Amino acid sequence: MDFIPLKSNLPHSGKFEWPIIMISMILSGIGLCLVYSATVPFGEAGRLYVMRQITWCSLGLVLAPVLLIFDYELLDHWALRLYIIIIVALILVWATGRVTYGSKRWMQMGLMRFQPSEFAKLAVIIILAKYLQTTPGNASTQLMDVLRPLALAILPAFLVLLQPDLGTACVITLISFSMIVFAGVGKRLLLWTGIGLLALIPIAMFLSDHLLMSYQRRRLFSFLNPSYDPLGSGYHLLQSQIAIGSGGLLGKGFLQGTQNQLMFLPVKHTDFIFAILAEEWGFVGCAVVLFLFLGLFLRGMTIAGKARDNFGTLLAFGCTVSFFWHVTINVAMVMGLLPVVGVPLSFLSYGGSALLASFLAVSILANVAMRRSAY
Amino acid sequence: MSDFLRKEYSAEYFGPRIRVAVIIFIAGAAIFLARLWQLQLIEGESYIEMAKNNRVRMVRLPASRGRILDCNGRTLAEDNPSFTFSIVPGEIENPRDMLEPCSAILGIPQEKMRGLIERSKTVPRFMNYPIKKNMTLEEVSLMKSRFMSSKGVLLEVKPLRLYPGGETLCHVIGTMGEVSAQELPRAAKLGYRTGDLLGKSGIEKEYETYLRGEEGWEEVEIDAKGRQLGHRSRKAPRAGADIELTIDYDLQKYSEEIFIHRAGSIVAVDPDSGRILAMVSKPGYDLNLFSPSITDRQWKRLRNDPLHPLENRSVRGLYSPASAFKIITATAALHEKLIRPDQKFNCAGKLELAGQAFRCWNHNGHGPIAFRRAIVESCDIYFYELGRLLGADKIAHYAALFGLGKPTGLGLPHELPGLIPSPAWKGRTYGDSWKDGETLNFAIGQGYLVATPIQLAMMTAAVANRGKLFKPSIVRRIRSRDEGIVFDHEPVVRWTIPVDSNALDMVRSAMTAVVSTSRGTGRRALIPGIKIAAKTGTSQVIRDKQLMIESEQIPYHERTHAIFVAYVDDKPKKIALVVMVEHGGAGGISAAPIARKIIARYYSMPDRGESQE
Repeated sequence: MDFIPLKSNLPHSGKFEWPIIMISMILSGIGLCLVYSATVPFGEAGRLYVMRQITWCSLGLVLAPVLLIFDYELLDHWALRLYIIIIVALILVWATGRVTYGSKRWMQMGLMRFQPSEFAKLAVIIILAKYLQTTPGNASTQLMDVLRPLALAILPAFLVLLQPDLGTACVITLISFSMIVFAGVGKRLLLWTGIGLLALIPIAMFLSDHLLMSYQRRRLFSFLNPSYDPLGSGYHLLQSQIAIGSGGLLGKGFLQGTQNQLMFLPVKHTDFIFAILAEEWGFVGCAVVLFLFLGLFLRGMTIAGKARDNFGTLLAFGCTVSFFWHVTINVAMVMGLLPVVGVPLSFLSYGGSALLASFLAVSILANVAMRRSAY
Repeated sequence: MSDFLRKEYSAEYFGPRIRVAVIIFIAGAAIFLARLWQLQLIEGESYIEMAKNNRVRMVRLPASRGRILDCNGRTLAEDNPSFTFSIVPGEIENPRDMLEPCSAILGIPQEKMRGLIERSKTVPRFMNYPIKKNMTLEEVSLMKSRFMSSKGVLLEVKPLRLYPGGETLCHVIGTMGEVSAQELPRAAKLGYRTGDLLGKSGIEKEYETYLRGEEGWEEVEIDAKGRQLGHRSRKAPRAGADIELTIDYDLQKYSEEIFIHRAGSIVAVDPDSGRILAMVSKPGYDLNLFSPSITDRQWKRLRNDPLHPLENRSVRGLYSPASAFKIITATAALHEKLIRPDQKFNCAGKLELAGQAFRCWNHNGHGPIAFRRAIVESCDIYFYELGRLLGADKIAHYAALFGLGKPTGLGLPHELPGLIPSPAWKGRTYGDSWKDGETLNFAIGQGYLVATPIQLAMMTAAVANRGKLFKPSIVRRIRSRDEGIVFDHEPVVRWTIPVDSNALDMVRSAMTAVVSTSRGTGRRALIPGIKIAAKTGTSQVIRDKQLMIESEQIPYHERTHAIFVAYVDDKPKKIALVVMVEHGGAGGISAAPIARKIIARYYSMPDRGESQE
């Protein structure tokens, strides 16, 4: 069994997968402008952010096409190994993070997003795609057939939750759930699993209400959501809505957003970047970006539909749905439709590892697309 | 393994599911667009109004930095409020109207004022641009009354670090400065921003996380004129913790005052706990020069001063311990049972080895000399003989046992480990073989051997407490306003030196005689009523040069360093100390009197001057 099936295949389908690549390039370009605008008020320190984002962007743009040389079947071979590496990395990060927090009690964890969590999403997608590729056709009604793949996803999600990173943990769970549903699960089973999970939420809330003191609950929640709503008064949300709403149709113009430049939104270059987009580029700008994302999703689904094997379909679906959940949760949060969780907006938010992971996902999608008629 | 189901089958299976997914995606986009339509187009006007009048601002509330105190609670470093007048260029209405009153009250020439306003236009329009820092209270009240109702101006209160002691303990306390470009990436993750101050050296740096506390936030409501109406919510800043040092300020100040020489170091430590009572490094500098920030000229002057006032010699000064090292050589020889205390060697003033002459400081020679007198009069020939018996490797071994060659772990930045030479080391470093003569120099604490004053102090402390090598500490307690005592120092013994207690006792007894007998090299440290044990050292700076001319005629940089290590252990409170006078001449002459004064002060006894010459 050759380790690296570098089959002498430049894609047989003949056509280079332009749509996905173009969309991701346009989106990351827009992201750079937004990050620049968001960090200008930081003064000197601001330029660092943009430089970093450009670096990561370039790295992604170079890496993505390079990885296309390898057939995506390689991921099938490596799925378990990648998964284990990510688990180990997550444990390491949790362990060392714990030690520093314990010994230097007052050192803030700050806004660090530890890198493994972003790549954990990809690892989960890959291993679930591998696991689930035999399910189509075997419509299962066994609970275990849902729980086993779910367990594969819950482990990294839990480790990520410990970091603490509630947002990414939620996204991992949602992605896995979507993939399991997509791959095939009996309707009744689906219903029961769904009910079971929903039932857990009020139980958890009940427990936390009665076992934890109110200040502990507050601490736990702010521990999980470190930088948001520090005053707990809905300030952040209001400011975000003002930013969006005051953008009007055409926005206030590049670098002219008062909410942005006046620093009314303290943490805006990461998760609230959409508010910057809305304020400075208006409804038109938002619609353009949303349509770009929609294009990404639709193209991704088309790729899934035309893949040469189930593994490819599931990979493509997993990557697509990963983008979908990021965008949906982030935009809903910024617009006040969901409570605040830390989920970045793919390609637009500042954040090197998220950006790189997004480019890797794009690379996988292109890979599946370009090898669809290998047989 | 990929499962190769037929493409048609997969398409059949996945087809509907894909369609469902696509519908969900489109629905999602539609919902978002609808919401955006609502916010931006339907309600847009009202949001635009809200943005214009956005009356609520998030303001950073800086935390007050913890103080640095001595062991008795005396303040060595603390924050005082300092006022800065700033303008917000995007909000200022009539800059020209401001020129005259600002200039008059603040004492800034109008031209300069105009220039400042011009330059303020280069920064982001809504950022504060400082015009004058460190205003006096009078300026503050005048500015406040004049500009109370103006837009675009504000008075910011910033903490200013003050050091009541001035130069005292300057190296240990350390300085603060702005976050540098190199530090910024890592510091930004911890919440620091451009322009923030953090510790750059000493305790200010080492304990930055404790001193800094945690900044807070405040939602402030401002009216159209920029006045604060009130605040909506607030997260109070958490003040930094106070660092209580082990240092005794009185002893420290006194030690610095009586150290009248140009350069050197004093380290005094409690031998029963490792706590540092005083740590002097001369020359020093006034810490207040750095607050709010040091001028270029002064900084250059400090950096280019050939005596290096910025260096903490106590932990970074590398000196050959010279005869002070004989304590270790003597202990080693006795413990290894290579000599008997009554065994005599003959000191004729010099010893020949491999065609080279190795001299004793007493050129006439001490004659037949045994253990006790060899220490009391610091006979070099005797110790050359011990060196030959021990060999370089053994000497190196015992040097390490007494804590030389490795940092003491005190917890001040950039402590140097010093160097213990050995044949193996020399081969590695110079590719050269060890010469027998180097063992002789090693035995009397010269040659490649170098140590820091703190290492010598801990060595002396180990002799004082009969064999326990402590880890020195300079922080006694860390106390936070909210949480009480966060850290309380417990003495840490690094190890017990595995030497025969009889051997150590004989060395200790001899060291007492160094001070108490009339021929002892340390006789100038004698204080009637206190039993002081000590050892002098005179550290050669120029190798192999035995100078016979008067010390005043030797150029400063060629003079020997004067070293004196001493301890008192027969009283309830004990002390061990090292005095190091750079280029001070002879240990017994320059360093001993300083030690005497400090010990007298420590035990509150009058210093009657030198009773013997």
